[in-house]
Amino acid sequence: MAQDRGSTDSYTRPIRRIFIGGLVLVLFALFLLWRIDSPRAERFRAMLVDRFVPSMDWALVPVTNAVDLVGDFQSYARIREQNQELRRELQQMRAWREAALQLEQENAKLLDLNKVRLDPKLTFVTGVVLADSGSPFRQSVLLNVGARDGIQDGWATTDGLGLVGRISGVGQTTSRVILLTDPGSRIPVTIQPTGQRGILAGDNSALPPVDFIEDTEQVRPGDRVVSSGDGGVFPAGLLVGQLVAGPDDRLRVRLAADYERLEFLRVLRSRPAEAIGAPGGLVGPDAIFPAAEGTDG
Amino acid sequence: MAEVVVTRRWRYRTRSVALSFLDVFARLLPLDAGAGRFPGPDVILLLAFVWVLRRPDYVPALLVAVVVLMTDVLFLRPLGLWAACVVLGLEFLRSREAASRDLPFLLEWMMVTGVIVSMTLGYVITLALFAVDQPALGLTLIQMIMTILCYPLAVVFSGRILGLRKMAPGAVDQLGHRL
Repeated sequence: MAQDRGSTDSYTRPIRRIFIGGLVLVLFALFLLWRIDSPRAERFRAMLVDRFVPSMDWALVPVTNAVDLVGDFQSYARIREQNQELRRELQQMRAWREAALQLEQENAKLLDLNKVRLDPKLTFVTGVVLADSGSPFRQSVLLNVGARDGIQDGWATTDGLGLVGRISGVGQTTSRVILLTDPGSRIPVTIQPTGQRGILAGDNSALPPVDFIEDTEQVRPGDRVVSSGDGGVFPAGLLVGQLVAGPDDRLRVRLAADYERLEFLRVLRSRPAEAIGAPGGLVGPDAIFPAAEGTDG
Repeated sequence: MAEVVVTRRWRYRTRSVALSFLDVFARLLPLDAGAGRFPGPDVILLLAFVWVLRRPDYVPALLVAVVVLMTDVLFLRPLGLWAACVVLGLEFLRSREAASRDLPFLLEWMMVTGVIVSMTLGYVITLALFAVDQPALGLTLIQMIMTILCYPLAVVFSGRILGLRKMAPGAVDQLGHRL
């Protein structure tokens, strides 16, 4: 040991050096392993998190609730103003609701007239946020649903209103959601109403930028941004947010999901679209006759 | 007598692990999941460095390696690399511990600054060499500067609250061995 200087020093120092060198080598080998076989290492990470974080649940939940409670108490001070504000908003919402109901009926009628076949409705699993990534460099949260609940990698997650992120890393009872603001997040989006395609790329800021827009002349701040479903991994048509012009003249998205209060998240069960592998066979005598013989004999 | 020394040593080791757990716990709380947060100091690194320059036997390399590796796993960092950097920095400081006992605090701070800066540079350069996606360099630098600025706070906290003081040159422990 380091404190035994003097007589034993000459024996322990070389052993100690070898031990430290070995320790550093093992850690570096672990890094290399992570670099070479990333999926396996990430599965290992998901397994460890799955073991470790839920065991802290009993402490995480009360502390989170207590801090939220303090925040709520602060808002009691302005309760009268808030009440007035909410009443005004409620009035506006009633008007919108009426309009929406009428539009929905009209839409249903038109769809019926046109015989449009829509996608089967998405079903979802709701999970509670257990913990966040704990690092200012990565934006992710941990949910209390996992492989046990049928969660799979790549599924979309919303907070009921807007897209929040996608599942990346599933443990037995937990799963990790990479938020749209994470630097590793890339989501194909469509900008309505012009239908321009782009990629929403997280960059650790609250307003992620949209890259690769075909024609920036056709979009303007205030346009709605929805997921496009390009590449087939993500359901199309989920609301992402609104386009804004950033201070650096890049087009950014103000996210519709409330990132300040991520409590319950919906994980949308999405099935991959059926792939059409080959063109249909030629319709001709060769294709018909064997079948006809088969039915005769 | 021997039991007293050993239990004290293990008490401090347990304390260092408990403080690290507390830090991890506080960071994992899902309070501000929004982006654009200001990175705070690396508390575990600070505690390890402050303690190794005061009582090196309270922070064994293996213990620090395991704790930092655990944070690598939880905070989605590349596995193992930061832990290796921390062990190298820790052992460098440990080898300078005996020589730095009568060093003025400012010089000690500068030495630690040098170690933290070279650790961060080594980390960033290794990640770049292996073509790993990195967070913005500015954020990493802000965290490094925050860590360096918080070093005196960690020293005061360890000294006042945990009673961890620098050993005088030629100090002996309760068994009469030279420390």
